[in-house]
Amino acid sequence: MGKIRVLLVDDHTVVRQGLRRILELGPEVEIVGELGDGRLALEAAQRLRPTVAIVDISLPELNGIEVTRQLAKAAPDTRVLILSMHADDAYIRQSLRAGAKGYLLKDADDQDLLKAVAALHAGGSYFSPAVSKVVLEGYLHDGGRADDELATLSAREREVLQLIAEGKSNKEVAQALDIAVSTVESHRKHLMEKLDLHNTADMVRFAVRKGVVQ
Amino acid sequence: MEKVRVLIVDDHTVVRRGLRKILESTPEIEVVGEVGDGSQAVAAADQLSPDVVLMDVSLPVLNGIEAARRINAETPRARILMLSMHADEQYVRQSINAGARGYLLKDADDQDLVEAVLAVRRGETRYSGTLARAVSVECGCSPEILSPREREVLAMICSGRTNREVAEHLGLSVNTVETHRKHIIDKLDLHSTAELVRYAIRHGMVS
Repeated sequence: MGKIRVLLVDDHTVVRQGLRRILELGPEVEIVGELGDGRLALEAAQRLRPTVAIVDISLPELNGIEVTRQLAKAAPDTRVLILSMHADDAYIRQSLRAGAKGYLLKDADDQDLLKAVAALHAGGSYFSPAVSKVVLEGYLHDGGRADDELATLSAREREVLQLIAEGKSNKEVAQALDIAVSTVESHRKHLMEKLDLHNTADMVRFAVRKGVVQ
Repeated sequence: MEKVRVLIVDDHTVVRRGLRKILESTPEIEVVGEVGDGSQAVAAADQLSPDVVLMDVSLPVLNGIEAARRINAETPRARILMLSMHADEQYVRQSINAGARGYLLKDADDQDLVEAVLAVRRGETRYSGTLARAVSVECGCSPEILSPREREVLAMICSGRTNREVAEHLGLSVNTVETHRKHIIDKLDLHSTAELVRYAIRHGMVS
């Protein structure tokens, strides 16, 4: 039987390398790549076609939820396991909506991690107990349809929001996304209108509150 | 030669297990315990007499800096190496004031980690990359980097007020506000409004 091909995406190198050591103890896991940046992770996933991508939710440049969303299109066979410090309702909803098949908290132990990877490989899903509880309560409460201001933005607007909240200028955002500065300005204007935000400080606080950046 | 006995303190179990695997792959190191909060860390340091405590800065119950302070007072033979996601000068200074011998960022790699543990055990200090600069600046003198007025100005900037509005609100001239702003930027080495806002959120000045 072939090994489970895993891609590891976490910007904290020592954490990522620790995860690798844990995963490599499972005889059936092969780490095909490890990356610290969301954009590079997308490229790598398209090239390497992993079965499972373990994606930290907070990543610079392109956060884990956006990576998940884009992976669902770019590499639909890859199943995403989100790794997060927080059993936060908004993060969980956004992850599931983006197409994640599992959500593991960092207070899980090494056995949980191996189980989660095996479950996703087998075509199933895996949630830490605290996460399942949030998912279930959310579903019972509103049928899973809570309004989410972030969902009102386009994927591009969310990307622009993250880069601005990280402190990039319009010009730097334009370079990172390979679009014109005027296009960045218009994305910026639209997203501020949609969210009723009036200046950069407002945007940054919104982005932190929603977990777009830390 | 005797092994370096290490206690690992991190509230994220899977992260802690990974750190353990990295350290245990080094023959000179023995992991004698792992705990998930600051209060347990103080107790475990007392019971296990580790040579080195590898301590996350953000911990529940008792944060890593406070735990370092107590371990340093109660179990002074244990040398403390902080591990953190945040390249934040204020945390670095507080850690050093609390008696830590090093401050490593989580974007260090496995070799850096092992090297830092061994160095701290030898009585040396280790700081990730640019943090060394923070440390070399008059350490221990002022735990609060910003003056009360600067903190006030920063909080207002971060709630979206313009320099003019801040000036009116605090009864200062716009020039004075601009000077405060410049000092804040210099002191924190943060160069965009976005970075200032995130700094202020992290330090509880705005939410």
